[in-house]
Amino acid sequence: MSLFINLTLNGITNGMIFAAVALGLVFIWRATHIVNFSQGSMAMFTTYIAVTLLDRHINYWLVFAAALVAGLVMGGVIEVVLIRPLRGKHALNPVIVTLGLFILLEGLAGSIFGVGNRSFPPAFSQAGLTFGHSTIAFSHFDLFILAAVVILMLGTLVLFRATNMGLRMRAAAFAPEVARLLGVRVGRILTLGWALAAVAGSLAGLLVAPTVSFSPNFMDLILVYAFTAAVVGGLDSPVGALVGGLVTGLSLSYVGGYLGSSLEPLGALAILMVVLSARPEGIFSRPAPRRV
Amino acid sequence: MLDVEDLSVSYGAVQALQGVTFQAREGTVTAVLGANGAGKTTLLRTVSGLVKRQSGNVSYGGVELTGLSVENIVRLGISHVPEGRGVIEELTIDENLRLGTLWQFGRQERRSVLDEIYELFPQLAQRKRRMASTLSGGERQMLAIGRALSSKPKLLLLDEPSLGLAPLVTAQIMALIQELARETRLTVVLVEQNVRSALSIAEEAVVINLGRVVIADTAASVAADTELRHLYLGF
Repeated sequence: MSLFINLTLNGITNGMIFAAVALGLVFIWRATHIVNFSQGSMAMFTTYIAVTLLDRHINYWLVFAAALVAGLVMGGVIEVVLIRPLRGKHALNPVIVTLGLFILLEGLAGSIFGVGNRSFPPAFSQAGLTFGHSTIAFSHFDLFILAAVVILMLGTLVLFRATNMGLRMRAAAFAPEVARLLGVRVGRILTLGWALAAVAGSLAGLLVAPTVSFSPNFMDLILVYAFTAAVVGGLDSPVGALVGGLVTGLSLSYVGGYLGSSLEPLGALAILMVVLSARPEGIFSRPAPRRV
Repeated sequence: MLDVEDLSVSYGAVQALQGVTFQAREGTVTAVLGANGAGKTTLLRTVSGLVKRQSGNVSYGGVELTGLSVENIVRLGISHVPEGRGVIEELTIDENLRLGTLWQFGRQERRSVLDEIYELFPQLAQRKRRMASTLSGGERQMLAIGRALSSKPKLLLLDEPSLGLAPLVTAQIMALIQELARETRLTVVLVEQNVRSALSIAEEAVVINLGRVVIADTAASVAADTELRHLYLGF
């Protein structure tokens, strides 16, 4: 029973991280209909920026904020410089560019920061919480992960549902041409979508890094799981990203705990296959009507 | 005044518009008529900046529009209701309307502009929070026109507002367009397949065939020209 509880807690924590990365994928998919394969390596890069700043003994939370801002700028610049010139070209072109960017960023990080393993100090204790005589696999830091992602999700919800900028973003996602005819500067909205996606990614990087000994490819597997989460949730739904993240996190935790951790990637594949065959548009996405 | 001069547009090898010249005067309705594929929609899309011209000029109130982005043309007071209405189904009725006001009005002003629109279309006022996908065809057209009006335009480009609507609803919409032009000095360019309805409210008419202007005259004289009607307008 305690194994089940611990696996569940572990699954929730991991799921929240997958959800944050998946949210980034959703932001970019909604804005530009591109699957961003560089989502993980962008997050990795800002995490390296953060750890470099920490090496210089700069305040932890200041560094935390700086990494998020670095993500914001990086996402925006990538959209303007690399993605925007490809608008109107074949849909595969920008996807290939994000693949190239994925390789480029990992190579760049390796040559700038080194390929060796690094460690990232956690903001809070990583010792499991103790209740009476039993200790559970859930620490203060896990609680922080949970809170950070919940805040990210709530922020996204408020942005989309309660602000004029969110209204513009939704209009630009659903009907870009109509949005332009109503005066929405859609180009800027797309840039903003990429920038916010990179912030979500950066946050995920900062939350993962303390739990692993990390190197330039530490986000690769997480991107695979986050992609699974995003597809489960439907790729264009922020709520779907959260639920998809939790479903993926919990499933993989049970697979890893009961069947062996080497089976986790296969578990992700199984989830993808089940969801794609039962509900190809994902759980929270409405099927797109086919034009005839 | 909208001034289109010697405008040509092509989609690759296909010449969609060739040397199109006409004016639309302030406070009038100008009907743009012609068969399917004549280039009417392309004409509107070129005015609002969605389609790039090949040659010629489009200016509004003396300001050259060619080369401006869609978003900046909107900011000159030009509102385009696209074919098929362009209501965003995934947004509520209120969100659709608000979208048209975001670029220019503050919160206070926005509320009063939207109240005016709801007064004009009471059917929409009762269902502000419902998704636009729940509306009927006629209601969607009202929402699309209301949304275009919410930016307080000086020039309204309407692409086939009667498409798919019952005759009674079409008549209501046409009456509304005429009233707006008369009372608010709105300039309307109305693309229509429904020639009779369009001619009944328009002052001027432009007939286009295969991308060229056949005639640009008063609506009354176009309606009276039996041969022209037979040849190009099908009645």
